[in-house]
Amino acid sequence: MSAVPWTEKYAPRRVSEIVRNTEAAMKLLKLVKEWKPGSKGILLYGPPGTGKTVSVYAVANELNYEVIEMNASDTRNVQNVMRVAGSAAMQAPLFAKRGRIVLIDEIDGLSGREDRGGLGAIIKVIKSARVPVVLTANDPWDPRFTSLRQYCELIEYKRLTMWDVVKVLRSICQKEGIIADNEVLKEIAKNAEGDLRSAINDLQALAEGRKRLTKEMLSILARRDREKNIFEVLRMLFSAKTARMATFALSTADVDYEMLMRWISENIPYHMDDVEELAKAYDALSRADVFLGRIKREQNWKLLPYAFELMSAGVALARSKSKFKFVKYSFPSLLKELKSSKEQRDLQKKIGEKIKKRCHTSVTRAINDFLPFIRVILRNNPEVGAKMAKWFRFNEEEIAFITGDSRSSKEIIKLLK
Amino acid sequence: MILEGDDYMSEMMWTEKYRPRTLDEIVNQEEIVSRLKHFVKTKDFPHLLFAGPPGTGKTTAILAFARDLFGKYFEENFLELNASDERGIDIIRTRVKDFARTRAIGDVPVKIIALDEADNMTADAQQALRRTMEKYTRTARFCLICNYSSKIIEPIQSRCAVFRFSPLKDEDIAKRLKWIAEQENVNLTEDGVQAILYVAEGDMRRAINILQAASALGTTVNSETVYKVTGRARPEEVREMINLALSGKFIEARKKLYELLITYGLSGSDIVRQIHREIYNLNIPEEWKVKLAEYTGDIDFRLSEGAHEDIQLSALLAHFALAGTQMRKGG
Repeated sequence: MSAVPWTEKYAPRRVSEIVRNTEAAMKLLKLVKEWKPGSKGILLYGPPGTGKTVSVYAVANELNYEVIEMNASDTRNVQNVMRVAGSAAMQAPLFAKRGRIVLIDEIDGLSGREDRGGLGAIIKVIKSARVPVVLTANDPWDPRFTSLRQYCELIEYKRLTMWDVVKVLRSICQKEGIIADNEVLKEIAKNAEGDLRSAINDLQALAEGRKRLTKEMLSILARRDREKNIFEVLRMLFSAKTARMATFALSTADVDYEMLMRWISENIPYHMDDVEELAKAYDALSRADVFLGRIKREQNWKLLPYAFELMSAGVALARSKSKFKFVKYSFPSLLKELKSSKEQRDLQKKIGEKIKKRCHTSVTRAINDFLPFIRVILRNNPEVGAKMAKWFRFNEEEIAFITGDSRSSKEIIKLLK
Repeated sequence: MILEGDDYMSEMMWTEKYRPRTLDEIVNQEEIVSRLKHFVKTKDFPHLLFAGPPGTGKTTAILAFARDLFGKYFEENFLELNASDERGIDIIRTRVKDFARTRAIGDVPVKIIALDEADNMTADAQQALRRTMEKYTRTARFCLICNYSSKIIEPIQSRCAVFRFSPLKDEDIAKRLKWIAEQENVNLTEDGVQAILYVAEGDMRRAINILQAASALGTTVNSETVYKVTGRARPEEVREMINLALSGKFIEARKKLYELLITYGLSGSDIVRQIHREIYNLNIPEEWKVKLAEYTGDIDFRLSEGAHEDIQLSALLAHFALAGTQMRKGG
């Protein structure tokens, strides 16, 4: 990838360039322009990738304002909010040459613990600000924001349609000198589900350095995209500081619950350094699994939210001491091993079937309750073992599998002949 | 068991060889046996539900009952299905339908369909089964066999006569073991008997399997050969896994767990049972053994309620890791 992400390279510089949410951006422009001390703060809300943050920069660009930004990567407790946003908003010179916008991005990401009091401090800043304070959020109806909403003008950003996204992608392709089939762009757009940012990222990942984009290349994207998705879900989930963020992270996943559960289970120990956190996280996951079991058995789907919350929020909030760190997520090792040992297990199952026929039992029980003892006999006593193999009608392959060592299996097979 | 042709030259599992053929041969569960004998006399009986721990004679009882009842027409009138293998209710239904459609042969008006490990059926499948039971009530009787009757939905329970099989007494198992040893010319020592009883935990099938495997090592079966057999059959891996977890090496412990689940093909409840037993052999403060046992029991319960064994067992190992740290801190 080149140094400049296309999302920045082609970010709108003017309000009129904002796709789909032009009106919202116009409203923002108007509010910022007419803003005076005592006016409310401005809260932009809507799904990811609909243009909230870029609107703020486009507005600032048109008005020649500067933007002081605080986002989720900053700690936003009382002290920090007051220090960064507070000083920027409240101590701004009254007759400065250049206007200023204070942007507090992604307030959904405010954590109850680490960013304690952050929300209260934000309200304080809004109330006594001398410059407009703009906030962005995915979900403004979170009960935590009840009092904050009273101090804000709300502007909604709508999800983009597939055609909106295709339009942007096509214009980027033109500027980059890439010839792309319509089908391809449509596919990328569909994948993005109204999130322009992710669509542009996908396009760049796929097309950069190429002259032509064809349908065949999409297969790479699809696979990559799915993997990226699960990695992103995990990153979001494990970094979540609130229950709501964690459940939100899970809701964006496009793999089924069983798979998700395995991914989460696999990667918990890489995030939780502290054993107490480890035990807590797994306890939550185990409780989630109990709900899943009930759902499966009784088809009681109304229990699903509880399972969902435990495996997301329950796991994420178990981390209280250790810092969030970047983890290279690994594929569930249980599934990997299951796959590689499939032939062996199939063979074992066949043996189980034969035992079942003779011993009035189930395959599982045959493997668990009978096979270990049959193994002891075949390994240690080839004469008896051969007779037993005959009774069960085990073939050579099965005998070799049961004994697990070639010497005794050869002896048994010789005796059988 | 009918031995065909070259089967005379073969060696059977002793659990089959010495499985009682008739109700008269069954020496315990007296109450149940006497009820079943009464049914044989009247040739009239309700649907049956046999519940009880593994290896207490449930399958043996239904087989013996059906043999006594049907005599030479046993094969024609008795169908044995296993719910944990034939999970799809459709398979059960088609096989049941094919079987129950035709009238019973002989002087007993109904056929018997035995459904083993019925507690492994989903509630949905059980609902379907309930309707099937009603539909063929004139031509067939069901016998559901399970470990926990609580896992059978109430409408089915209420349609069945429920028989509870109690755990076998040690002396009953010991008597049987000694008798088999005599038949097989095995020298079974007293401490050998005690060792088998300890490991078998009231499960007759397990006890006999241990005896047979131990006797394959030599003609004398004593505590040493018994532990050798059970040690080999139940690898030391479990203890190693626990120790890894207690010392905080969670990821390594989990790797062992997957090995047990996949390579050894052990079931989750099998592993939990072994963990539970190992706790008391650990070199840790006594009060911690109780704490670990409590949590193990908790996970055992969740295993039966939950959907994924690996998740539940990972949770158990994580808890052991925490407990290990707290022990070292002297908590």
